[in-house]
Amino acid sequence: MPVNQLIKTILSNRYVLLLTTLTAYLLVVVAEGAITGREARLLDFENPFFDLNIGDFEEFQTTRSGEDPEVM
Amino acid sequence: MVVNQFGQFGALLKREIIENRNLFISTPALLAVIFFVFSIWVVSFVPSAEIATGIEYLSVLFDGLSPLQMAPVFLLPAVPFIVTLYICAIIYLINSLYQDRKDASVLFWQSMPVSNLQTVISKVVTICAIAPVFYVAILFVLHLLAVAMLVALGLTYNVQVAGLGYMFMASVLSLLLIYLSAITTALWSLPSIGWLLLFSAFARKTPILWAVGVFILLGFLEDFVFGSQYLANWVESRSNPQQYMFFEFTDVVERLFSYDMLFGVVVGSILISGAISMRRFID
Repeated sequence: MPVNQLIKTILSNRYVLLLTTLTAYLLVVVAEGAITGREARLLDFENPFFDLNIGDFEEFQTTRSGEDPEVM
Repeated sequence: MVVNQFGQFGALLKREIIENRNLFISTPALLAVIFFVFSIWVVSFVPSAEIATGIEYLSVLFDGLSPLQMAPVFLLPAVPFIVTLYICAIIYLINSLYQDRKDASVLFWQSMPVSNLQTVISKVVTICAIAPVFYVAILFVLHLLAVAMLVALGLTYNVQVAGLGYMFMASVLSLLLIYLSAITTALWSLPSIGWLLLFSAFARKTPILWAVGVFILLGFLEDFVFGSQYLANWVESRSNPQQYMFFEFTDVVERLFSYDMLFGVVVGSILISGAISMRRFID
């Protein structure tokens, strides 16, 4: 059976198994990223106590550099 | 048969707790002692009149308010404990399967009637659900001591302390919030848990270097070879604490059943499956 042979090959040594696991991990992550058009969302952190938006910080920097060239 | 398997799994969980009691019990206990002694040291510098005013203010602040609404206030003092839990979790996960092979105890455990699946799942359950219990229990003792100290100080300075009961109820509810938050964070971090377990089972030496090195290498390779950044985007899109932390009980269901959470569980399962299969290779 080719499937049994494949499983036997994958489990033959630790390097092949690691490579197979990482390949499966990459395939799933990349396929999902491509399908959903995933983008980084690191910058917003809103909660009832304070708001943190690092995106605004970049905007703030741009504004500052526009107003005061000496800063940047 | 099912009862027997639960018994075996319970024994595996007990083993994890006994073998790692320094990470799960001693570390938070030591932190709590430091926290308590530091608080007493700070209070010893405050004048008596200000202590009385402070206790009265606390009592009035919490008096009559819903403990559910006030519970998030107690999340701030818990931050050092949560950070310590994360650090201990990383140390535990990266060493758990590696240490078994290093000291050859894996041979003993593989001779027992427990499968590799049960062993690895017991480690995941330990870090997701059992370890936070100890941290929360120690925080509960700390809250109890703090309230006892405030009541004693209140009685000493003849201050009304009725509102401290509400404060204690709010602090107890905050512990439930912290526990649920720890479980949600662990489920959210399942890919990271799987990643660390995979390299803990794989590496012959320095598993932490393997785990970090391969992670960075894959990101660079994707960028250089394919010119895409799906991996980096995936990691960055899951790095926002707002996606797994919550400050209100009503957010629990929303966090647990979000698409990103479920997809993370799927990816984590792939890596954990790899770790389970990897455990068959003994040095």
